[in-house]
Amino acid sequence: MDPNVANAVSPEALERVSDQIALDADAVRARAEAVLAEDLYWFPVRHHSPAVARHLESAILARRPKVVLIEGPSEATDLIPYVVDSKTHPPVAIYSSYRDDDNVLGLAGIASPAKDIPPRFACWYPLVGYSPEYIAMKAAARIKAKVVFIDLPHHALIEPHVEEEDEPSAQDPSGKVPGPDSAPSQSRGKKYTVEFDAEHLIVESRFYQKLAEVAGYRNWNEAWDSLFEKSDFGDDTEAFRRELATFCAAARATCSPRRIEADGTLARERFMWRTIGRTLKKEKIRPREAMVVCGGFHLFLDRDDATPPPEAPSGTVYTTVMPYSFFRISELSGYAAGNRAPQFYQTCFELARDGRADDVLVEHVVAVLKRARREGEHLSSADAIAASQHARLLANLRGRAQPVLDDIQDALITCCCKGDPADEGMHLLQAIDAVNIGTKVGRVTPALGRLPLVNDFYGQLDDLDLGEVMGREKQLTTSLDKREELDARRSAFLHRLLSLDVPIGQMIDAPSGDFDTGMIFREKWALRWSPKVEPALIEKSLYGDTLQAAALGRLQEQLADDRQHAGKTCGHLVRAIDMDLPQMVTDIEKACGDAIDADVRFVSLTTALGHLAVLDRYAAYRNLRRDVLEDLLVRCFDRACFSIPEVASVPEDQQEEVVAALLSLAELLLRSDDSRLDRALFAEHVRGAADQSQVPFLRGAFLGMLAEIRQMDPVDLAAEVSAYARASADEMARAGDFVDGIMAVSRTSIMLGADALVGAIDDLLRAADWDVFLTMIPRLRAAFERLHERQCDAMAQRVAVRYGLSDEGESLTELRTSVGAAALIARIDRQVAEVMKEWEF
Amino acid sequence: MAKKQSASKQAAAAPSAEDHNDSSTVEQLRRPAEVEHADQLEALHQNDSDTPPAAWKLSPRAVLTYIIGGKPLKAKLDGKTVEVPITRKFFGDDGLVERAIVTLASERALLLVGEPGTGKSWLSEHLAAAVSGDSTLTIQGTAGTTEEHVKYSWNIARVIAEGPTPGNMIPSPTMLAMRRGGVLRFEEITRCVPDVQDALVSILSDKAINVPELPDDNMVWARPGFNVIATANTRDQGVNELSAALKRRFNYIHIPIVADQKTEIEIVQKRSADLIDRYGVSTSITPPLVTLLTTVFREIREGKTTDGVSVKQPSTTVSTAEAIGVALDAALHASFFGSGQIRPSDIARNLVGSIVKEDTADLAVLKEYAVLVAKKRAAKDKNWKEFHDTLVASLK
Repeated sequence: MDPNVANAVSPEALERVSDQIALDADAVRARAEAVLAEDLYWFPVRHHSPAVARHLESAILARRPKVVLIEGPSEATDLIPYVVDSKTHPPVAIYSSYRDDDNVLGLAGIASPAKDIPPRFACWYPLVGYSPEYIAMKAAARIKAKVVFIDLPHHALIEPHVEEEDEPSAQDPSGKVPGPDSAPSQSRGKKYTVEFDAEHLIVESRFYQKLAEVAGYRNWNEAWDSLFEKSDFGDDTEAFRRELATFCAAARATCSPRRIEADGTLARERFMWRTIGRTLKKEKIRPREAMVVCGGFHLFLDRDDATPPPEAPSGTVYTTVMPYSFFRISELSGYAAGNRAPQFYQTCFELARDGRADDVLVEHVVAVLKRARREGEHLSSADAIAASQHARLLANLRGRAQPVLDDIQDALITCCCKGDPADEGMHLLQAIDAVNIGTKVGRVTPALGRLPLVNDFYGQLDDLDLGEVMGREKQLTTSLDKREELDARRSAFLHRLLSLDVPIGQMIDAPSGDFDTGMIFREKWALRWSPKVEPALIEKSLYGDTLQAAALGRLQEQLADDRQHAGKTCGHLVRAIDMDLPQMVTDIEKACGDAIDADVRFVSLTTALGHLAVLDRYAAYRNLRRDVLEDLLVRCFDRACFSIPEVASVPEDQQEEVVAALLSLAELLLRSDDSRLDRALFAEHVRGAADQSQVPFLRGAFLGMLAEIRQMDPVDLAAEVSAYARASADEMARAGDFVDGIMAVSRTSIMLGADALVGAIDDLLRAADWDVFLTMIPRLRAAFERLHERQCDAMAQRVAVRYGLSDEGESLTELRTSVGAAALIARIDRQVAEVMKEWEF
Repeated sequence: MAKKQSASKQAAAAPSAEDHNDSSTVEQLRRPAEVEHADQLEALHQNDSDTPPAAWKLSPRAVLTYIIGGKPLKAKLDGKTVEVPITRKFFGDDGLVERAIVTLASERALLLVGEPGTGKSWLSEHLAAAVSGDSTLTIQGTAGTTEEHVKYSWNIARVIAEGPTPGNMIPSPTMLAMRRGGVLRFEEITRCVPDVQDALVSILSDKAINVPELPDDNMVWARPGFNVIATANTRDQGVNELSAALKRRFNYIHIPIVADQKTEIEIVQKRSADLIDRYGVSTSITPPLVTLLTTVFREIREGKTTDGVSVKQPSTTVSTAEAIGVALDAALHASFFGSGQIRPSDIARNLVGSIVKEDTADLAVLKEYAVLVAKKRAAKDKNWKEFHDTLVASLK
């Protein structure tokens, strides 16, 4: 680390870094000064930066402009009064959606499920209480200045579909064009998403890369906090503005022009510049009476660029303001341009406002320790003191005037975690995340009206002729045949509601594994209105403005949560198909492959196999790619086999699910005609697990399974039971568990080897003394209760034969009686019972 | 990696700076860090613009530069101005080194924990060398370490003759470090029984050792600068766990196994070349084979391959040091019994002994790796094919 560049973009630092990347530092400074000296007052910002917010507020209140032009979605300018309404409390998000009704972009069927469904694209602009844009709107309202959003509508950047030789069949996985809250995604190289945050351009710039290398910044957040958030500018707003502008000028000068063009930045800047000009003209004000609040990168937009900005395509545009949450805004939720610690920066903002900026360290450390104690960590005030001291020393070593979040976290881990953070520090890390992120949820003024998701719900109820459900408080049962187009849509609608936890009903009869019955196409639902339906929809509106988008968003989130769990991930694939979200299938298939490769849990892998086997059977019906499914099946089977020894000695509460999983695996093997399912591999690992197992029940199940798949002679299996007859009393007492294990998996083998098994159990019972017998009898009884009636009869027959009672046995089972005799027997039985009752037995 | 001291170094044997200089002229299998890198330490001292904490030889920032390397520095050595390269001593997370240095400048002692072969002793030695100029004040923790090794003992013959006097006391490395304001290294602290470990509690909290045998001179106080760097092996966890009282006097820093493959390749390439050279073997391990070796180690260690396949992990440690060991064994095998050129088969053959040590169940780990991972790669790469075929044959 070079201490001379660790503090800020000081002249020396700029020289030093510039020297190494052949950048003209004087030209950079001159460029920044030229913009700062313009009549039009430009204020560079970074989203969600408390330091920028604080200085920006000061600048607005000091300059008192007549118009504040903010880098926000121009189509949402009308919503600004709702954002600054006293009943609106951040975090909130400005939401903008576009529906291409006439398919002018040619993306129907590509960015939407079908050619007759218009594609929809949505964008969120989240605002927290310390977002510079929000603070600017609030400050402008205080001084009664007009606020205008100047950014290009997001849908103006959607690239229309161009017919290619290789017709793209893959679809945009999200069906939307995310704004600041999403990373770009590509569909077969075709981009349907837009970057609305120029921050990535700064990070990619040669200037920042070299600065980070020289100063030792490990990430952009650390760099930002060191350079601007925690640097001591005091109340000198102009010094702050100059520093940030110079930094951005250096970054822009070392950023690839092609990259700036390709991600739509130039198009947006052309629109911004034009909007600024038009607004000044319309409002009839001079540039010095206005103020522009935008990303620092855009300060240096080309004022002479005569190229017109792109026109927004025609269609339906919907904008609103919706509640948001700190979690949704955090990087942990997957929000690409997220804030790494919304609550931490909220605290920084509030304390700085109160003139207590120095208290952030102690407040944060104490909050984390308090939370960690709730998680069970034994941490004292001495630890808080040590961590605070450590953070200050670390900041000093790293050349910072004050500790930044990275220093505080490093200090907390060093002083409070006694071992490997991933292991011993688990609770501490959870506490750090919880305190960093916070739980704040925003509120939007009621003046704004109903949310789009709620509208979509009622619209679909009408379209699908299900309005009756909401009309009265009564359960409605409906049967669906998914071969009918309307019923298929109803099914998808209900599955989407189910996935979003909207309590409108439940499936009471579903497709089962029995594919001969035709149930694959039929579903039965019990539906009922509930007062909780609407609140649930409002809560889920964070995921999207339509049920489809929300279900998609929820599924994506669940998929991310369960990415290491093969069973759950394959379950999501089934759900994606049930919810008719074909655009997700390819992604989930890949996620299934990754989860199968990553998962080593036998039960989870077997669950995954079950889901895949079901899908494999209706692959043709659902237009699924059978080759992909088969490949997943084989991979999953192999991995499940390798994981069998892992469950050789699981605790009792997990044993039944292991046996159930073992049976599913065997059933798949026996029913499948796929030669790629390696029976020898399965047998090898079942045998390995049997050899390894210390649990008689599981050992019995593994050996029973070997007999079931004809890899073990039933006589040898019976010999294993007989062995208990010769074992010590303690060992013998566990024979019931062993037999129970055998019975738990045996289907046909028990019939084939019944003679030997009956003989072995007979030996066992003869060898057991009374106490041992009493100990083993409950499990032996449980074992026999597992048998089907036919198996029970067969076993009884063998016992009868063994004891020379076969003829009598036959006559006993064939006992017939008359109705009169039966009534007599019943009467005698009752009388006996009454007598015994008198005897007080 | 640093070779561990085989026994506690008692005070009388503690080398002075002159000893170091004398020993540098004598042929020596290994020299301590402060001697080996005396030129770098001196260059950093001459260029140090920050004020070091009390009794430190260098400022924290200069210590950091010594450990993680930096640009060459001009220094006056033996009357001549020369440019001294500052080499990187520790490969891994620089933030971790920063945390270790800050801990040494604070009230708390430093405990480096991690798997065997992750460079804990190596880092401890270099930190001690840079901070106090002496890395030899070391206690090697074993089951036989006693409280006397930690505090002090007596010259029994002289005590019988003269009674206990300050002159008859044999100070421990701890006591020497306290008197000098230096750094004590306590290796493998969790190998010591709890009673011995707890002898450190008062030393770390009171910064003093009580000597009741000398009523007129019964306290030895630590001078500013005194601190302790202990190391503990995570494989020993639970054997002699530190008491809660001692734990809270240490800041723990977990040293992970090298995080990225590029760095691990670099370490294996460099260290195995050094060792092969030391053994006088005229062969070398080619970069593709180093990549193969480190890939196998990394994937088995992490239980996950680069293409996302989860694999079983063995009961033994699969450290970078073990990978270096396999490279050396493969070189020796190739040199003495093979063609003289290290081949993938040499690596496969020696891998079995490295992974399967205490538990033969680890054979299943290698078998699974061969079937699920190596076989797939063997279809496209001849090195992997030879590796796979030999590994499968070795496992039969």
